[in-house]
Amino acid sequence: MSEEHHGHLQLQYQPALPMSNGKTFMWLFLSTEIMFFAALIGTYIVLRFGAPVWPTPHQVHLSEPIGAFNTFVLILSSVTIVLTLEAARANRAGLAKLFMLVTLGLGTIFLLVKAYEYNAKFSHGIYPQKPRSLIYERPTLPFASAVRQRLAEITGELALEDSRSEEEEEHLKVATILLAHATQVERTAAQSADNPAGILALSQMAEMITPLGYGAGGAHGSQPKVAGEGLAEVLAGADHGLNDKYHWLKLPMVIPGGNMWASTYFLLTGFHALHVVVGLIVFAIMLGMRLDKSRAPHIENIGLYWHFVDLVWIFLFPLLYLF
Amino acid sequence: MSHSTDVTGGHGDAEHEQHGSIGTYLAVFVALCILTGASFFTYSSYWPFSDHVAWAFMMAISCTKAMLVILFFMHLKYEANWKYVLTVPATFMSLFLVLMLVPDVGLRMRRASEERLRYMAVPQVTDAPADQHSSEQPDGH
Repeated sequence: MSEEHHGHLQLQYQPALPMSNGKTFMWLFLSTEIMFFAALIGTYIVLRFGAPVWPTPHQVHLSEPIGAFNTFVLILSSVTIVLTLEAARANRAGLAKLFMLVTLGLGTIFLLVKAYEYNAKFSHGIYPQKPRSLIYERPTLPFASAVRQRLAEITGELALEDSRSEEEEEHLKVATILLAHATQVERTAAQSADNPAGILALSQMAEMITPLGYGAGGAHGSQPKVAGEGLAEVLAGADHGLNDKYHWLKLPMVIPGGNMWASTYFLLTGFHALHVVVGLIVFAIMLGMRLDKSRAPHIENIGLYWHFVDLVWIFLFPLLYLF
Repeated sequence: MSHSTDVTGGHGDAEHEQHGSIGTYLAVFVALCILTGASFFTYSSYWPFSDHVAWAFMMAISCTKAMLVILFFMHLKYEANWKYVLTVPATFMSLFLVLMLVPDVGLRMRRASEERLRYMAVPQVTDAPADQHSSEQPDGH
């Protein structure tokens, strides 16, 4: 190494790739990750455009500004992790730690916003699968039965209680009126499921529970002409549907294409969120170290991973929120 | 990489310069924010073109953003030619995957049975599916 010895064969180690093993394997890992997410995103694209109907963001309570905000947060965190690397290369350990802390904070904000969004879906009965999911694809007879059963369950439970609070009395009153209506609808549908009367009754009930918001014409469904006793009073002010006005009802609802949407949405964002969690764990571990020049290669590797997570979100945001 | 760290500080600075400066990162960050705003603009009611144009536009923007992140943040612009060994096959794999699914799953509604079409959730909208702002919606059929 140090001195030239003439007459001796001088061997020099030459790595196959001009970089460290850690970085090589991080890139290999990332190339498998590219294919993993490409599979998920590709499947989503194909399913979404092959689907006969897909819910609008409004129907599934997606908020585009929140998604855009999360995009901004991730981009910002990408900048801070690259600044961490630069600071570590310049041997400024304190500054590097500060930037990494900011990155950790931004990643946490992303996850919190994601959790808020998931919670908004869950509270509206949108889950990836039954039995928690309340989504029905079409207003059919099984849907009417499910609504009637849910109302019967509510009224049954409340009626059995010995002493009811004022609120519970109100709930019981509303549920009883709706139960009478749902029973009526189910009977109409059962007798004539394939003729206009049955179809109309079913669609009107579906619109009553969750209006699909298809322009002005669709809103008429929320004002049914079927006059039940006290029904008009219950429906008053429920422009966004019964499930919205009475959160405790949690009635089965019709969102065309909603089940496929929920499956793909939760799978894609869930896997992405898992990747964010892994990144945050590594950041938290590295914060316990001294981030000087000797740590720069490690910071570069986790940085590559973090940029990849950002990259995936860059595609997920328009595909899930804006398409 | 591990070689160059052993060399003198002067050379290290030159290499450092090559990896992009703080200014470059900030410029990329601003570009990314503007591009995000541009794809968000397609969602607003000021977007003058159809949904299909919006989709193509958003995908173009996403690819541009991805390239910016890969080239500058992940330093791929400054790497040696090994980068093609990893990225080109992965790109082809992902494109083929989507293309292979298209005839089987993606186009199934093109030749859907009459029964399936009749029992669809809502009547199929030929023009602009799932656009809540449009007034001509399934009810019109």
